Amino acid sequence: MKIHDLLIHTAQAFPDRVAVSHEDRRITFASLNSASDRLAEHLRHLPVTPGDRAGILFENSIEYVLIFFAALKAGLVAVPLDTSLGADSLGKILADCDARLFFAQMKFRRKLPELLKESHSIRTVISDRHVSTGRDDLRAVPLDSILGDSSRYSESHLPGEELPPVRISPLDLSDASGSGSPHDLAAVFYTSGSTGAGKGVMLSHRNLVSNSIGTVQYLRLTPNDSVLVILPFYYIYGNSLLLTHVACGGRLVIDNRFLYPEVILDTMEQEKVTGFSGVPSNFLILLGNSTFATRKLEHLRYFTQAGGAMAPETIRRLISVFGHKQIFIMYGQTEAAPRVTWLPPERLNEKVGSIGIAVPGVTIEVFDDDDHSVPVGETGEIVVSGPNVMMGYWNQPTENAEVLRNGKLHTGDLAKQDADGYIWVVGRKKEIIKSGGNRVSAKEIEECLLANELILEACVVGVPDNILGEAIRAVIVVKNGMGSSTKEIQSYCKKHLADFKVPKQIVFVSELPKYQSGKVNKPLLKTEEFRAPAHKQTL
Amino acid sequence: MAIDQTVLRKELRQFVTDSFLIGDDQVVFADADSFMKNGIIDSTGVLELTAHLEEKYNVTPTDDEMLPANLDSIDNLVNFIQRKLSGATAS
Repeated sequence: MKIHDLLIHTAQAFPDRVAVSHEDRRITFASLNSASDRLAEHLRHLPVTPGDRAGILFENSIEYVLIFFAALKAGLVAVPLDTSLGADSLGKILADCDARLFFAQMKFRRKLPELLKESHSIRTVISDRHVSTGRDDLRAVPLDSILGDSSRYSESHLPGEELPPVRISPLDLSDASGSGSPHDLAAVFYTSGSTGAGKGVMLSHRNLVSNSIGTVQYLRLTPNDSVLVILPFYYIYGNSLLLTHVACGGRLVIDNRFLYPEVILDTMEQEKVTGFSGVPSNFLILLGNSTFATRKLEHLRYFTQAGGAMAPETIRRLISVFGHKQIFIMYGQTEAAPRVTWLPPERLNEKVGSIGIAVPGVTIEVFDDDDHSVPVGETGEIVVSGPNVMMGYWNQPTENAEVLRNGKLHTGDLAKQDADGYIWVVGRKKEIIKSGGNRVSAKEIEECLLANELILEACVVGVPDNILGEAIRAVIVVKNGMGSSTKEIQSYCKKHLADFKVPKQIVFVSELPKYQSGKVNKPLLKTEEFRAPAHKQTL
Repeated sequence: MAIDQTVLRKELRQFVTDSFLIGDDQVVFADADSFMKNGIIDSTGVLELTAHLEEKYNVTPTDDEMLPANLDSIDNLVNFIQRKLSGATAS
């Protein structure tokens, strides 16, 4: 089965159900399928051949979904692009993957001239409106002129209408439509890189389909589910929401306004969504800076959290407010397409801090440096195998050899497995700070800091130090209206941590620098910009 | 404290252009245009904008005032700031 077969199957099973809602627009599975067919047909007549890369610079929208599936149907490789990147970084990615086709939303028109100047491989630009590419030899074709009538989206099954429960028919992984193989490259997702283009993670149809089906199983998604999508589709977690809901016939409710949390909460209530998926910072903002805790969210069945470890303190706050909902703590990597583990909600209370057990179809082992399994309770690296493991990094043979050994993905995450088989992450292999000869887990210090009631967000990194080798730097956001000082924070840490784990540098900031995905930009926190100056030590 | 509306509009437009468009005067937007829909301000930008309101006008939006209706265009900002300065409840 290929990724677009998920859409074809669902459009046959539930043609009139709404696939995607975005503000006042909706599209059914049948319309989405036929519109993507029409666009795919147009793409086949362009100067591109199957396997060519197609960059997609669209924010979450009906158009994004349509373009993504059309590109795959035409045999192209989708390269979803981080819309928050500057023209320079986007140009480097497009050049790195040698993109031939570029889908660009008019909203980002200001970036086009500069990024297209460097992307000589691009032959065609398709946009949602008439835009200037800044190049005489390159004209942008408006999407409407290709889609014609099919761009008028039909409405059916408005939110709130009871749908009969329908069981998902088993999907046969070997059943693939058209030419090509499920083992073909389907998409390249560029991971956050502090320099250059970052790394392009190559995922096959089989990688993404198998992982989507496994995720549908453990989340028990049905066609009656609908998820509020605030995570961008270019981010692998957002892409997982897209594919799992197309696979199960559920509805994607897009809202790109998380910068206004109250609007998001209103959408959750108005659209009666059954699921909400976020990264730790989303939950921190909702719990700390909105009316989230006072909302009933009657229709909501579950929350999912991934995209980095959420502090146990935050999980407990979420449980205290919404303990009657299912809370799925999950772990994954772009390289694993992406889900690796899930923590069954019924075990959450007793296992707070664990990332749970392997998702269906995925195998996890905890290895020592010689690639041998470590005993229960001992620390080793999480190693993943299964149909979800990436094909490799685009044009990075050295990295591939380091990360993919014997067909297994070496995640770089250090963990222990308990007697029940549950995995507990203790830190990143490369994020262990070596300070004064001691190995210190940044995660442990972050968790300690987040348990302090004055602190909203905290991130810990190691920075070069003449005496210690590496010094511990904690970058902290205090809660609204609260004040603190370096001395107070260090005294607090001293009470709860061994002396060598107390951060030498405490930096107070009004917000942590984050990628659009919500993950903290740790490389930036290590730079001089975040060195603690004397005048910044009290806020 | 009252601020002349024309001056306020001009100051806010200047701030948005300087901070988010990095002086790109090619970008034309009307006072009623949404910052979000036109790709002018992202989530980080909203925090920068609210910090500016606090510093320059001593106006601090509460959690439930963090709404597009208050912050997502020059028009909305002008109305919001004036309501806050006059002591009225913002939407």
